Amino acid sequence: MRRLSVLMVAAWTGTLLACQERLTTPVDCPELCPGNSLIVRDTVIEPVFDLDSTFTGYLRATEIPALLVSNGLPAGDARSWATFPRRIDSVVVDGLQQALTLDSAEMTFRVVGLDKSVTGTQLVVHRISPAVDTNTTLEQLDVQLTPESVMGRIAITDTGVAKLTFKGDALGKIAVFAADSFRLGIGLRLEAPSPTGVRLESLNSGSRPPTMTLFGKIAIADTARQRQTLHAAADSANYVINTPPLPGDDRYALGGKRGRRAILRFRAPAALKDSAIILRATLELTPSGPLLGLKGDPASLEVRGVLADVGAKSPYIPNFGASVVLPVGVTEVQSIELRSTVATWFVTGAPPSSLVIGINPEGGSFAWPEFFSTRAAVGRPRIRITYALPSQPGHP
Amino acid sequence: MRSRLGTAVLLLASVAPVAAQSSQFGVRGLGLPMRPFSVRASATGGALGLFDSESSFNPASIGLVSFTTASFQTLQSWRRSESPSGSVTARDNRYPGVFVAAPIGGTQLAIALSASGYTDRNFSIASRDTLVLRDVPVETIDTLRSLGGVTDVRAGIAWRGSTRLQVGLGIHLLTGSNRISSSRRFSDTTYAGATEEATVSYLGMGVSAGVMARLGRVLTLAGMVRADEKLRVERDSLRVGTTKLPLTLAGGARVQFGDQLQLAGSATYRTWSSADNDIVAQGGVGSVNTIEFNVGLEYLRDPRRPNNLPLRLGFYRARLPFPVIRGQNINETGITIGTSKRFVADRAGFDLAVGQVWRKGGPGFSERATLVTVGISVRP
Repeated sequence: MRRLSVLMVAAWTGTLLACQERLTTPVDCPELCPGNSLIVRDTVIEPVFDLDSTFTGYLRATEIPALLVSNGLPAGDARSWATFPRRIDSVVVDGLQQALTLDSAEMTFRVVGLDKSVTGTQLVVHRISPAVDTNTTLEQLDVQLTPESVMGRIAITDTGVAKLTFKGDALGKIAVFAADSFRLGIGLRLEAPSPTGVRLESLNSGSRPPTMTLFGKIAIADTARQRQTLHAAADSANYVINTPPLPGDDRYALGGKRGRRAILRFRAPAALKDSAIILRATLELTPSGPLLGLKGDPASLEVRGVLADVGAKSPYIPNFGASVVLPVGVTEVQSIELRSTVATWFVTGAPPSSLVIGINPEGGSFAWPEFFSTRAAVGRPRIRITYALPSQPGHP
Repeated sequence: MRSRLGTAVLLLASVAPVAAQSSQFGVRGLGLPMRPFSVRASATGGALGLFDSESSFNPASIGLVSFTTASFQTLQSWRRSESPSGSVTARDNRYPGVFVAAPIGGTQLAIALSASGYTDRNFSIASRDTLVLRDVPVETIDTLRSLGGVTDVRAGIAWRGSTRLQVGLGIHLLTGSNRISSSRRFSDTTYAGATEEATVSYLGMGVSAGVMARLGRVLTLAGMVRADEKLRVERDSLRVGTTKLPLTLAGGARVQFGDQLQLAGSATYRTWSSADNDIVAQGGVGSVNTIEFNVGLEYLRDPRRPNNLPLRLGFYRARLPFPVIRGQNINETGITIGTSKRFVADRAGFDLAVGQVWRKGGPGFSERATLVTVGISVRP
């Protein structure tokens, strides 16, 4: 009987293990296709007329992710400035304050974006009053950027560290005075054969904001410790820009120093709810003119769905959204694939069918795109949706 | 003894009696019709199906059961399908039958409970197409996959009036489902793929009656008739219609030559055209009446031990009920060979049947399959 049981179990196990399938067969429809394939359709929806809005003020003045400098760029003429903290001119060695005798100094900036097609670009560093602040206007800053205040020029050819060195008599250009509370202010402008711009790291963006490095000697007997170096990062840095004037109601602009976003509100077609499978959804935005920005350093257009539409502070749906690089100078319709976001509009408990559009890096880019709004006669924003309808497969 | 029978039944019941033998000709209608034969009967091309006590075809054959018997079978198939869109080789494995029977002590009755495939609708098909989406041609790849079929659960009882006459009755429950998954993929990956799933379930009842009579020492005749009510069809629990099922008529003869050789032949007619209107109404191609002829032999090397490696041969030809193109019949021709062996004082054993099948179903549609069926049976 034990042999019988073993035989039964072995046969059963062996049979299960033998199970294998490879079934797929190519077929011609309709002969071997029981029922239709998923029915694919295309539709276009436009935002609700006059319910699109733009908002600004998403960044505080001190939160800018980059310093912008340009010379006559259509996207905006920009100057930057930075102030360095009260100068320290001595070091403590073995508990004793030792005066530092300067040999040389360096002022460094990290270039994070430029248009390499423009050659001969120079970053001009001016000495300005350290009393500059975020209320300073472009005109107020320009007044101080005179030929007499030039501290030096740095040729900008690539991204990376740009350095201005002071030695000998040039050290006098970085001298600090009691009237300025021993602080140093600098202004930055750009010189180039044609309009262009550069982006520099700011205090918020990375590891190398504008920095002053002092090299010197102290008078002690230990020669190994006579040479000393002092680093001082800027304690404030910002930029001013005169962006193009805001467009009329039939267009909206994105970007800018404080962050400008648009919200588009759609009505999800009822016919698609619950049953349709969204295969592709493409937001199409029509520029009202050539897209403004800095060639060679494009920004991204970011589109996000929202959990609730409460206007400017609508919270985003986490991990849902899309971005596309914004080319500069083109007038073609900009398309952004948004399938995952739009698909959320057609399920039970769907979030609002609204989209928030902005620029990345917000507040740190020359990009200033203008698109037609819902109030425009032509070129209104729209979403092309390709969807599938159920076909109830499996007919006999 | 009772616990051993219970163990056997439990073991066998754990193998789902789903349908077998996937085929491109099982895509339309209710699928590929199955033959409710034991492995022994399959090895004779179905010719012994009316006479075999372990087949679920003729309820009268249950009357031959003299021991409690349980069996199940597994089928492995390798096939090559040709269609106008190309050819493909495929393989699959299914468990097409479970059978338990026992005599009722002190009476001339025997009962049987079995589950076998009625139709098989296991398939996975792929097709290509090109759609113009947003003014650009985009290639699509559609895949339709179906798992399942209709299972025929039969409870039968037979009366053995004598060694010469048996009559039987069967009640059939037809149940099962197709789990269908349809998906579409695009060559342009900016389009997401889409998948749609549905479950089509079936439910119906039927009755069958049969008789088997031995005339003299040589000739045995058998016949059966089966009628099923309309099959109720639901898609995702919503009634989509009914499908009228056929009347089945079968008759056969077996001739015994001495102790070692028996020859058998049978014919089965099914009125599948009665389902035509229903199938067309549900979106199908249609259905046609079918007739099947089977001939086969069994040669016993040792008549005292009939299951010690006998030789079984068979041939059959059948028309299948569900054409892929209306007006183009599908014909199936098969040749079979098989044997069996018993162990442990005949308490356990196996049966083996190997078949080669050819199917043709209209211009460009053909199929060749090799089927290996293994049956395990026990007499606790």
